Amino acid sequence: MQRRTFGTAAIGAAILAAAPRMARAQQRRGGEVVIAIVQAPPSLDAHITSAQVSRNITLHIFETLYARDENARPVPELATGVTISPDGKTYVFPIRQDVKFHNGKALDAQDVVASLERYRKLGASATLLAAIDTVKASGPNEVTVTLKAPQSTFLDNLSSPRAPIAIYPASEAAKAANQIDYIGTGPYRFVEYKPDSHVRLARYDGYRLNPAASGRDGLAGKKEVFLDSVVFRFMPEAGARNAAFQAGEVHFLETVDAEVAKRLGADKRNAIYKALPFGFQVIKFNHALGATGDLNFRLAVQSALDMEEIMALSFPDIYQMDGSWVYPGSPFHTAAGTEKYNKPDPAAAKALLAKSGYKGEKLTFITDPLRSDLDTATLVQERLKDIGVMVEVSVADWPTVSKIGFTPTGWNFWTHGFGIEPYEGPASVMLPWVNGLSQQKPDPEIDRLYAALNAELDEAKKKAIFAQFQARLYDQAIAMKAGNYGYFQAATARLKNFAPYRIPRMWGVWLEQA
Amino acid sequence: MTRFLAKRLAGMLLVLGLVSLMSFAVIELVPGDPTAAFADASATPEQMARLRHELGLDLPLPQRMADWYGRLLHADLGQSILLRRSVTDAILERLPVTLSLAGIALVAALAAGVAAGMVAAAYHKRWPDQVVMTAALFGLSVPEFWLGLMLILLFAVRLGAFPTGGFVPIEQDPAAWARSIALPAAALAAVQVGFIARMTRAAVLDVLHQDFMRTADAKGLSRADIMLRHGLPNALVPILTVAGIVTGSLLGNAVIIEQVFSIPGVGRLVVGGILSRDYPVIQGGLLFLAAIYLMMNLVVDVLYAVVDPRIRLE
Repeated sequence: MQRRTFGTAAIGAAILAAAPRMARAQQRRGGEVVIAIVQAPPSLDAHITSAQVSRNITLHIFETLYARDENARPVPELATGVTISPDGKTYVFPIRQDVKFHNGKALDAQDVVASLERYRKLGASATLLAAIDTVKASGPNEVTVTLKAPQSTFLDNLSSPRAPIAIYPASEAAKAANQIDYIGTGPYRFVEYKPDSHVRLARYDGYRLNPAASGRDGLAGKKEVFLDSVVFRFMPEAGARNAAFQAGEVHFLETVDAEVAKRLGADKRNAIYKALPFGFQVIKFNHALGATGDLNFRLAVQSALDMEEIMALSFPDIYQMDGSWVYPGSPFHTAAGTEKYNKPDPAAAKALLAKSGYKGEKLTFITDPLRSDLDTATLVQERLKDIGVMVEVSVADWPTVSKIGFTPTGWNFWTHGFGIEPYEGPASVMLPWVNGLSQQKPDPEIDRLYAALNAELDEAKKKAIFAQFQARLYDQAIAMKAGNYGYFQAATARLKNFAPYRIPRMWGVWLEQA
Repeated sequence: MTRFLAKRLAGMLLVLGLVSLMSFAVIELVPGDPTAAFADASATPEQMARLRHELGLDLPLPQRMADWYGRLLHADLGQSILLRRSVTDAILERLPVTLSLAGIALVAALAAGVAAGMVAAAYHKRWPDQVVMTAALFGLSVPEFWLGLMLILLFAVRLGAFPTGGFVPIEQDPAAWARSIALPAAALAAVQVGFIARMTRAAVLDVLHQDFMRTADAKGLSRADIMLRHGLPNALVPILTVAGIVTGSLLGNAVIIEQVFSIPGVGRLVVGGILSRDYPVIQGGLLFLAAIYLMMNLVVDVLYAVVDPRIRLE
């Protein structure tokens, strides 16, 4: 009797303790947040595009087996965990049984198998799953993946948000690219896509918080939604975006210039956030064409440039000087090779240039019209002129530049940001240099290190391999990193508990009543 | 008239044929293709080849050309690669937006421009003339995108009288539609007002020196009567020519205004198509805009004969 009284009292106390929290949650509920984004997403079929603008939206609708936590480490999301066989080739994923898709269907192993198979066939980054031999449902709520060979980065790949390996209902996963209905398990459900105007999402009231998570955690964790809806409005013109924000029609700007951030931040109705680091500025060399194929020439360029000058001009007030090819805080962050990072020495540059085969010919620097890329190209052009290297800057839109930049002719230098690669981890940073993809001439040592990293299961040895890779980037001046950059983001001060991340997460945030 | 129309329609078909050929050639010459929207730098050559095959980009040039013209003969502009719908549907969905924007801007620009031009002519070399001509020069010199942003800052951000952008369909809420279209139409019209005013002034000044105008004055008609009953109708032919040119400019400039005001019109569709290399959208959009431009020219030519019976269309 006493025990029953105690039990009843305990339950009563628990209810009393939870009541204020529930009431608070109820108070926070409601409202619509309008986010201005710079362009329309090429697709909302998460599998088929790696465009950042798409993942900003799709990661609210869809979820993955594993997702990245706040420190970009893979943690279970729709899986409850994984059992890896001692030979590193078999992964058994138990699937959460409390999850329902937006159409009410319960998630099961068949959905996971169909989604992974679809991604292998038409995923924008199908390379992520290239190591898979077979995917099978080994139970109604269990999936077994067998790899062709052990791959130390398999969970990193599976949880990559690049072109998310989203889990669709099997019926949707059977459809062709870009033909699916947008049905996921995420905290928001798809409502409408008005071409050239906006995408609207609404809170999915059937969403089950991940019981294993303790709070908001990167792209994983608890995704508690207070807002009724989120609208992603496509606004290509920066001035119009800023004006809409000031007029209160837009509540969140994904990126604003330093000057605009200062102006908006002076108004108490606004809050300015720094998403830093968000990427790093890379200057690539074409090793297959002319002078940039000469090691001494590349080392001369490396010595001629003041990277801080480049970052201060291209990303005023929002950059970090860091020579490592992963972000600070990553377990792979290393100083290997960085004694050559940001050491401008014009005399040494001229000496190296004299040893190179450069004969005064004009070299081509290709860039897209993004202001930071253009500033980087222009400054490099000026500094190389100082040591006697003639550079012509050629500006074209991104599809044109990215087409030329992956061919062996038509360019010597190319600059752009690396954002998702360092976030994904060391293998993704190494991949663009494997088989000479970015530098247009294979480097057997980099190819060897990449293969070794993928096969190595020991964390300490993986770190050593990545350090060797980074040292090689500097020693051979394969490419140059200028520094880490970030974005200023602006939100209405009414948007509470927002924290910048790789996407503007609309879970865990609420709108304070006006 | 029938012979004239037949000749003009044949000419239009020839021009459209050339436009379709040029839009095809431009796409072939510009590097980059729609695979950039779907595959990233990690894609293997096999994946790229599969994607290009799925999008039909690996077909030989003559075959792609034959497909394009074959579809055109069936009035089919093809299927957008990114929009999950046919190009014709995509254009027709956005056409009311662009036509209402350009239409309202045309009416506003004609009304204001003709009135200002007539005032300037009536008060030739006096202060109203100088005020109108200075304002016209200012209007002609101001880029639309700048004017658009200034209008947004003043009327939307400062005064809150209009939305900063976006579009509300008229069938959804007529009042909200009028508010959403007012600023972009004003920005679009303002630049053309100056042009129309200057041309109207010149045309009316020409007419003012004609004998019949002196006769009207000698009859004792009022200044307003002279201008409206005798001056304006006789100056209409050059004004109509200007209206035709302005209509073409409005369609072209609507592309910029749609970007600034985030309006989902045909211009924005084509710009989006260009940036993502959605080939069918670029080809279909260009052809469609060219067809509208040609149609407007034809309408203006026919109107010449309507307003001036001396002109015979042969």
